[in-house]
Amino acid sequence: MAVDLATKSLLHDKLRFLITVSGVAFAVTLVFVQVGLFLGLLDNASVTIEHIDADLWVTSRNTPNVDFAHTFPDTAVKRVRSVPGVERADNLIVWFVTVNLPSGAQEGSLVYALEDFSRWNIPWNVAQGDLADLKRGQYFFLDDSAVKRYGSFQVGEYREILGQRMKIIGRTKDARSFTTTPISFIDFERAQTLNPQSLQGKTTYVLVKLAPGADAAEIAAVKAEIARRLPYNDVYTKKEWATRSRNYWVQSTGIGLNMYITVFLGCLVGIVVVAQTLYTSTMEHLKEFGTVKAIGGGNLDIYRILGKQASIAAVGGFVMGALMAYAMRPAITKIDLKLIIPPVFVAIVFVGAVVMCLAAAMISFRKVASIDPALVFRG
Amino acid sequence: MKTVLEADSVSKDFREGRGDVVSVLRGVSLSLSRGEIVSLEGPSGSGKTTLLSILGCILTASSGRVVVDGEEISADRPARLPAIRKKSIGFVFQQFNLFPSLTALENVEYALNIKGEKGAAALREAERVIDAVGLSDRRDFLPRDLSGGQKQRIAIARALAGKSPILLADEPTANLDSQIGGQVLEMFRALAKKEDRALLIVTHDPKVRTVADRVLRIQDGRLAAEGLAA
Repeated sequence: MAVDLATKSLLHDKLRFLITVSGVAFAVTLVFVQVGLFLGLLDNASVTIEHIDADLWVTSRNTPNVDFAHTFPDTAVKRVRSVPGVERADNLIVWFVTVNLPSGAQEGSLVYALEDFSRWNIPWNVAQGDLADLKRGQYFFLDDSAVKRYGSFQVGEYREILGQRMKIIGRTKDARSFTTTPISFIDFERAQTLNPQSLQGKTTYVLVKLAPGADAAEIAAVKAEIARRLPYNDVYTKKEWATRSRNYWVQSTGIGLNMYITVFLGCLVGIVVVAQTLYTSTMEHLKEFGTVKAIGGGNLDIYRILGKQASIAAVGGFVMGALMAYAMRPAITKIDLKLIIPPVFVAIVFVGAVVMCLAAAMISFRKVASIDPALVFRG
Repeated sequence: MKTVLEADSVSKDFREGRGDVVSVLRGVSLSLSRGEIVSLEGPSGSGKTTLLSILGCILTASSGRVVVDGEEISADRPARLPAIRKKSIGFVFQQFNLFPSLTALENVEYALNIKGEKGAAALREAERVIDAVGLSDRRDFLPRDLSGGQKQRIAIARALAGKSPILLADEPTANLDSQIGGQVLEMFRALAKKEDRALLIVTHDPKVRTVADRVLRIQDGRLAAEGLAA
């Protein structure tokens, strides 16, 4: 085994090492938190699509995302049901309504209305109540995320939706919208009567379930046939619709740009801190590097030292940064936000941290290449 | 005795900022054999360090011929110089130039690693030379915990490690007091003789004469005199 000058030299000055690692850790935490929050928000943008057990979604033409629905005749569902390969199809209304709160304030709610919720796996996390009861009267389920905007509520209490007094008969969890507007669940026909001017005889989506075991080719064929029969609608696969809904927020609002800028700034801060500390360290160790050259080492030997030091800083900073990001998760959850850090993103950030640190070390490489080993003779 | 270092009519010119050419060495010729100890003396600015740098394959000569351990040094192949340094030359510096984060033993072992020797063989060789300079009990000390004399002995051990036939020392006693400097020189001489290495010591220190077989004197870039040591 060879003597590890890189590690020993790096750890020799512990304060400098801590500063270097902290710089990387800060950048890594920033990237994890910013991107994790972004992914959390995006997850809200398509969380209902992901959970609803539909293979295809029929929407009105050019609907930008699941929350911004437009109406079309609810009879379209019959044409969809007649398409060979369709096992079942149902209307779904997603509609923004105003809710009068006991305090006198008005808030918004995003209504999801179906004839039979249990067939489509929505809501997927029922905390209290029986969805079958929705058909029995002026009832609705409300997601727990509404507490933040509506104040606390209990099953059995009433709220006024679009001027109609409705009873809360159940609570759900995890049903979110991108805009954080609370989601409520109402029977389909009742939803149409809530706002007859806009919704009578209308729907906003048709959910389509194909026969079990349908492969990609069959799904594409059914999709094409529905599109042919409903020329004034759009048809998406579940994945396409989820992507379209997420992309709307990324591309049409500043949130995507905001994330990219923050990630860029995080990386920039990391690079600057690492480059600065490595460069200063290189300058302070010039004589040592000159000695390495004088005793027969080449630039490559010194590049290896700097590269290894940068990699150690990257790994140390990554671990510290990742731990800090994970430690922030409970606090972020408490304020009703999600920090989603998928394993593949962890791997990307790790590689990014190493590349960032090696890039920072390159600045020192240039200095090292110009070291004159004769400097070892200077007193 | 086998000649391991040869310089024939070596000159070195440097170009200054305004384009003026300064001749630092002018036709220097010398040779060094295995087991021979030579002292190179001269005032500041006489060209001692430049000559040492050329003989140590750190610089190349503007003209003349340099042969190190049988290999002629060519200015056209600068990439070859580190390999020659690695194989044939051990340096001892005025400022010791030990790596502060490595222990005494690791300093020697690292030099061996650079020379291509690794693992147990490098450790054994490092232990051998540390023992030879009498610092086995200090092998795990960092340089900051060693005295000046001990540091220079470790530097000598580093130069000896790897069996390089040529040892070049730049003012090895300049940072040591007279008594310690004398002891270090005696030990250096004994080890160079015992291990049959050629040793060239560049110095201002008159004590070096007492351990040298020959004394060379350089002035204004020329070897002014050569003679046996007193």
